[in-house]
Amino acid sequence: MGRLFQSEFLKLRRSSIWLLIFVSPILSLVLGLSELSEIGEFEQHQWTATLGIMTISHAILFLPLLTGIFSSFICRYEHVAGGWKQLLSLPVSRRNLYIVKILIVSLLIAATQILFILGLFIIGWMKGYPIEIPWGTISTSVFGGWLACMPLIALQMFASVAWSSFAAPLAVNVIFTIPNMLIVNSERFGPYYPWSQPFLMMMPNSAENFGALNVSIETLFIVIFGSLILFLGTGLVYFLRKEI
Amino acid sequence: MSNFIIETNKLTKKFGSSKVVNNVNLQVKKGEIYGFLGPNGAGKTTSIRMLLGLARPTNGSVQIFGKDIKKERLSILKKVGSLVEYPSYYGHLTAYENLEAARLLLGATKPRIDEVLAIVRLTKDAKRPVKGFSLGMKQRLGIATALLGNPELLILDEPTNGLDPSGIIEIRELIKSMPKEHGITILISSHLLSEIDQMATQVGIITKGQMIFQDSILKLRAQSTSKIKLTVNDAEAAWKSLLTHGYRTDFNQNKLFIENGSDDNVAEIVKSLVQNNYSIYRVEEERKSLEEIFLELTGLEGGL
Ligand SMILES: Nc1ncnc2c1ncn2[C@@H]1O[C@H](COP(=O)(O)OP(=O)(O)OP(=O)(O)O)[C@@H](O)[C@H]1O
Ligand SMILES: [Mg+2]
Repeated sequence: MGRLFQSEFLKLRRSSIWLLIFVSPILSLVLGLSELSEIGEFEQHQWTATLGIMTISHAILFLPLLTGIFSSFICRYEHVAGGWKQLLSLPVSRRNLYIVKILIVSLLIAATQILFILGLFIIGWMKGYPIEIPWGTISTSVFGGWLACMPLIALQMFASVAWSSFAAPLAVNVIFTIPNMLIVNSERFGPYYPWSQPFLMMMPNSAENFGALNVSIETLFIVIFGSLILFLGTGLVYFLRKEI
Repeated sequence: MSNFIIETNKLTKKFGSSKVVNNVNLQVKKGEIYGFLGPNGAGKTTSIRMLLGLARPTNGSVQIFGKDIKKERLSILKKVGSLVEYPSYYGHLTAYENLEAARLLLGATKPRIDEVLAIVRLTKDAKRPVKGFSLGMKQRLGIATALLGNPELLILDEPTNGLDPSGIIEIRELIKSMPKEHGITILISSHLLSEIDQMATQVGIITKGQMIFQDSILKLRAQSTSKIKLTVNDAEAAWKSLLTHGYRTDFNQNKLFIENGSDDNVAEIVKSLVQNNYSIYRVEEERKSLEEIFLELTGLEGGL
């Protein structure tokens, strides 16, 4: 599995798609900086408030889109010129290959999350936020957001493996991401909508909870793990049986 | 245990209701160059995909090195190098990186990459992205990938596709040398009998999914019976005259043909014609070419 990982990493490194990990963190950094003036009064909540502002576009829009883009791309170079055929004529377990592909996407999302946090620290440093960084809140938010991307990654990987077209899974992903803004506000649907989960997990708790943010963390965890197992299992079974 | 490197048992593949591969019993012995021959759409690629575990048989089984591909796919594929249909590659990687990506999975050594690049004469272009390669160069890269893991069995699906004449000769010489030098067994598919004829020791001919001939190339050549063609002045009268003297010939296109005639038989017929004052312009031997046999066997006479 280690060699498989190295091999996949080589293919990824030479395509420039991984550069997309920088887009959302940089954009969130700019957003966070520009909205600073309004937060001045809540001294002790500065970190959390900025994190909240940065999270909105990052988690509602970019995380769901990135899971799709990374998954499609990591399958694209297999679809284009017989990569699957070559790969699966080598002594490679289909199961491990599928899992490694998903792991690579989840690592790219993890890298995005880390850069995102770096952005937050840069803002805090520039504006002289208190030295006591709320590590707990921040790490829960970033890790939660990453975890909530896992079912999405599994779902998108399934679509990307099944569709040899590169654009189709991407288009579907965009279509499901657009109504996200509305669905995160819905207490009934939000927690069960995979595209909403990253935001629900990432948004730091504050006094002004709204919509689906009232849903308990336990419910979210159950939904996330349940759907991850469902999507991963279905995709894996499909890939194991796929004719190349 | 059987002594076959590849053995399929009633291998069958259906797409919808059509049997694209139908009850094929393919048998390849160690050290052979097995020519897998068939016209376009005969089911060669589909069979090869099943040999490699890329596609599942509808029925029947595949044994390679005496092991079932369904159960021991990974341990079999470690010792198999393959090239299926058009060449596979990652366009954004260089030739070297393409081989490196495969090398990691095969567990081969790094110097082996340079070796196989040299074998297919791509050393000079190793650092170029493959998307800029010509078809022939991609094909060479595919062959290099197949050789990378020092395989005991090579499965090559139309490997000379897209190669220029000198490339074809190079690859042919390479393929011919491998069983001798390294004890490798090779299965090579083609729709050109002439190509197989120059390399293979065994031949399997498949058409419409069915194996219609499987034996040594010598047996196939033995089927190329000859006939003697006589050009005479008045062929029809000569034919009748021969019949009255008890010699059976075929009268066709104003010529006389002697099928499977022994030397004495031919001599007697010529003598009889001379004695009856017919002018003999030509006595020629017409040998059915392997190509004709192939067309006859595959029932494709009269063009594709
Ligand atoms: N996935 C598929 N679905 C439906 N039919 C298929 C599929 N793959 C192959 N076929 C059909 O199976 C038949 C055999 O195809 P195959 O590719 O095995 O032929 P081949 O002997 O390799 O021909 P060629 O010399 O042209 O490469 C063809 O009629 C083809 O249309
Ligand atoms: Mg073919």
